[in-house]
Formats: sequence, C-alpha cells, structure tokens
Amino acid sequence: MAGAVPSGSFRISPVDRLGRRIDPAVLAAAEEISPRAVAHGMKLLGDLAVIANLLEEAGAIVTRRLRSQSSRTDSQPIQNVPGFLFICFMRKVNRAKRKQVVTVSLREVAQSKPSWTDPAAELDMKILVDEFLDHCDFITQDMFWRRVEGFSWEEIGRVYEMSAHAALERVRHVFQQVRARLKI
Amino acid sequence: MPDPKRRKDIKEKEFLGFAKSYLSEAFPNPQRNGCPRDSELTRMAEHPNETAHASVSQHLTRCSPCFNRYIELLAELKTRKAK
Repeated sequence: MAGAVPSGSFRISPVDRLGRRIDPAVLAAAEEISPRAVAHGMKLLGDLAVIANLLEEAGAIVTRRLRSQSSRTDSQPIQNVPGFLFICFMRKVNRAKRKQVVTVSLREVAQSKPSWTDPAAELDMKILVDEFLDHCDFITQDMFWRRVEGFSWEEIGRVYEMSAHAALERVRHVFQQVRARLKI
Repeated sequence: MPDPKRRKDIKEKEFLGFAKSYLSEAFPNPQRNGCPRDSELTRMAEHPNETAHASVSQHLTRCSPCFNRYIELLAELKTRKAK
C-alpha cells in the first residue's frame, strides 16, 4: 500500500483494517517502536499479520486521541507519542492473547516459570521494565544493571560515591513513578 | 478485607529476576546492529561515565547479546572485588 512504513519485512499501513486513517506523526512513532512491538508481539501471539493489524489499530486510536486533544483544552496532552502508542499496542496484544485458546503441552508445563504463567501479568511486567528503563537517567540505569547482577546497595553506592540508602532511593523513586503512571 | 483497587505488591527480587530473563532474550539482534566494542562495555563496568557511556547503557535496553555480555562483565568484576 502506498505510504506504508517498511520495517524490515514488517509493514505498517496508514489505514487500519477498519478504514481509520493513521496520522503521519503516529505512523512515524509506529515505525520507531516497531522492532520492540514485533519482538513482544511475536513472543505472545507469534503472528506478524496479527501484530501489524493490532499496531495499526493502536495507531488509529492514538490518532483519534491526538485529534480530540487538539480540539479540547481540558484533556491531558500526550507528551510521548511513541510511548503512548506502545502502551496502547501492548494492551491490544494483551486482549488478543486472552482471547486465544490456550493449549499447554506437558513439556511446556514442566519448563514453565511458575511466577509468570499468567500472560497478562507477564505483559504488564515487560511494559514496566521497558518504561522503567526509558525513564532512568544513565546513573540510575547503571545502578539497575548492577542490582540485576546482584550487587548490594552498598557496593552500588560506592561506585557513585553515595550512600546505599541514596542509591536505593534513586532507583526506587523512578520505579514508583513509572508504576504509578502505568497503574501496574 | 483487601482493597481491590490496591496494586499488587511487586517484590524487588521478583522484578529484578524478571527483568534479567526478559532483557537477556527479548532483543536478539543477530546482525549486532549498533553494538559497542567489548572494551567499551568493560570500561563502563569498571568506570561508568555518563558522557562516555550513556549511549552504551541505552543500547543495553534493546540488545540482548550486549545486555548478557555486560551482566557477565559485572559478574566478573564482582568476583574480582570479592577476592
């Protein structure tokens, strides 16, 4: 389709399957998030065509929201179009996943990770990790990498010449902010 | 009675464990597009510097091979410091 956005073998149409147009700015945002969106979508749904449909539908929703925002003064403006689009897309993926018939083999049961068997919870956590990392500055991000590898807060604080408490609070502050914003 | 509006508590260990397994697999990057040199990752592990390494750290959020390598380097650093 003319004007479609190529992203490797993945293409996003400027009109969704319901015939709703996608704003060029939203289309550009869709292109920006498409590697992440495809990676998440393929893991959960495993079908590129379905993922493209959902991303286009999310794009149409965000376009409508942007248009209504420009005509209203009481609504909160969208500051980060790619971020907003990504969350909207993930919610659509989540809904599509829940509608799928789940068939679980015995092998999958044996290999599954008990904490994250619920796809909805797993999706929320992925969004939370992505958004958390997007909102971290360099120091907070590096503190997080070290914490993931099992460094103590004392060790992390020493790297950045601050107390363990200050290091912990710095990471916790971003985490709580993102959680509150996403309502996860 | 539990408040249904209250968000589920996410334990730090749970979040870190999830983040580690998610970031180590979700972004395969087989062509290794935009990957920094190993020496840059090593320098960041040993002497992190915002000016020199901000883009490297940002890259780790979207590249599982580099994320895994950086985690490996941090583990080596941790072991060295423990000795």
